[in-house]
Amino acid sequence: MTDNEQRRNAAQTAGDRLVARHVREDPFAAAFKATRMPMIVTDPNQDDNPIIFCNAAFEKLTGYSAEEVVGRNCRFLQGPNTSREAVARIRASVEAGSDIAVDILNYKKDGSEFWNALFLSPVRDDDNRIVYFFASQLDFTNVKSREADLAAARHKAEEEVAKNTERLQSALGAKTLLVHEVDHRVKNNLLTMASIVKLQARITKNQDHRQILMSVLNRVEALSTVQRKLFTLDDVSRFDIADVAREMVSDLVGAIKRPDIRLTHELHPVYVPAVKATPLALIVNELVGDAVRRGLSDGGGQIHVVVKRLNGHFLIRVEDTSIPVEVDIETAEIGRILLETSARQVGAKIERRTAGHRTTVDVTMLVESPQESEN
Amino acid sequence: MKVLIVEDEMLLAMELENEVEMAGHQVIGTAATRDQAREAIAAQRPEFAFVDIHLQDGPTGIEVGRDLAAKNIPYVFVSGNIKKIPRDFAGALGAIEKPYTINGMKNALAYISGLIEGCVELNPPASLVLAEDVELIEAGPRI
Repeated sequence: MTDNEQRRNAAQTAGDRLVARHVREDPFAAAFKATRMPMIVTDPNQDDNPIIFCNAAFEKLTGYSAEEVVGRNCRFLQGPNTSREAVARIRASVEAGSDIAVDILNYKKDGSEFWNALFLSPVRDDDNRIVYFFASQLDFTNVKSREADLAAARHKAEEEVAKNTERLQSALGAKTLLVHEVDHRVKNNLLTMASIVKLQARITKNQDHRQILMSVLNRVEALSTVQRKLFTLDDVSRFDIADVAREMVSDLVGAIKRPDIRLTHELHPVYVPAVKATPLALIVNELVGDAVRRGLSDGGGQIHVVVKRLNGHFLIRVEDTSIPVEVDIETAEIGRILLETSARQVGAKIERRTAGHRTTVDVTMLVESPQESEN
Repeated sequence: MKVLIVEDEMLLAMELENEVEMAGHQVIGTAATRDQAREAIAAQRPEFAFVDIHLQDGPTGIEVGRDLAAKNIPYVFVSGNIKKIPRDFAGALGAIEKPYTINGMKNALAYISGLIEGCVELNPPASLVLAEDVELIEAGPRI
């Protein structure tokens, strides 16, 4: 008999002895044999702590028969990817005679890997000597691979999110840059257009031409004022028309230098969608411009500009006490057309009242939602 | 007063020069780059300057502004993007936002020349954003 065979026989004998000690009806032994949990018993009092017993579940899990495993140390379950650290912990527990629960990668007979939730515990006799080691093996490969799948999926998702975020950020950066660039160019072009018109007005000797050019310049500048006020609110899609009116009135007050024309105003913020900014600014410009022109030619007066909400409507009112005469047919005509066209564009109603020297023009339009006109 | 115009758009510089002269001031030079601005300042000290931020050699208007502030020469920025001005306004009195209107520029110029001549009781026009107002806005809402 070879050494191996001797050892195997000794282990088999120890196993037989163990089984013989338990009568067939012993429920503990029956449970051990029949449980679906793979289990083994080893004998530390024999050389190299061999397996002396394994149950059917163990055979099923590992693919080894009882005959193949009895007499061998458990290390045959280890393989190339088994953690050395886990093995060392098991060995230390066996030497110390203590319990251990450890997750370890083991190998089946066919060479395939499985994750083993190993529990190892010494069995002591009445004198507290270790007589056996009992070990259970729970295959949690499914859990482990699900975990790995989940981790991989999460990792992939995170990578995708990071990639997309980066892409969006760079797109946003490019867009912001583009908006600033376009805004800058529009502003510069408006000022250049104004400069060209003004240059021509400065050069021309013809007073009528000059007046026409200044009339064009005035409307270009109304657009300039709108462009300057766009994007000043946090919400770039909204626009405060009172802000534009204030600037237009303030520009005029300082520039007309006619103490006999008094400009006053009552301006409350009225927020409108940015797309309506230009027609509304032109409306304010035409109303104020008309009043100022009549005041200039007819010996002054009082001009009062109102921008506010009124009963769910948005009101632009310009009241003046200039003598209501037609100043110049062409000037009046362009002013009227611009006013009416702009009003039509935003669906506003124009109402003109004259009482003695007092002219009141109301331009009203529905405010689209209460949020647009709070404060 | 003697005015320096730092602006790289020649047409805008020309019309601004006209506007300044119409208001009774003297334009001692125009500059389109930082170096030109330095040369102009060295050649004849201006009493006031208009400074565009984006010049031919990049956004060097801020540096021109700091040069002027170091020499105690009052100036305002003239820019399409006043949000690009540093928090301390680089020592500028304020800023005129492009595209300004002729009346807006006239009013700002009248206020500035009044200020430099020592008139303290003038009201700043809407076309001129004062550096001190910007600091107030950043410090919190005005009452």
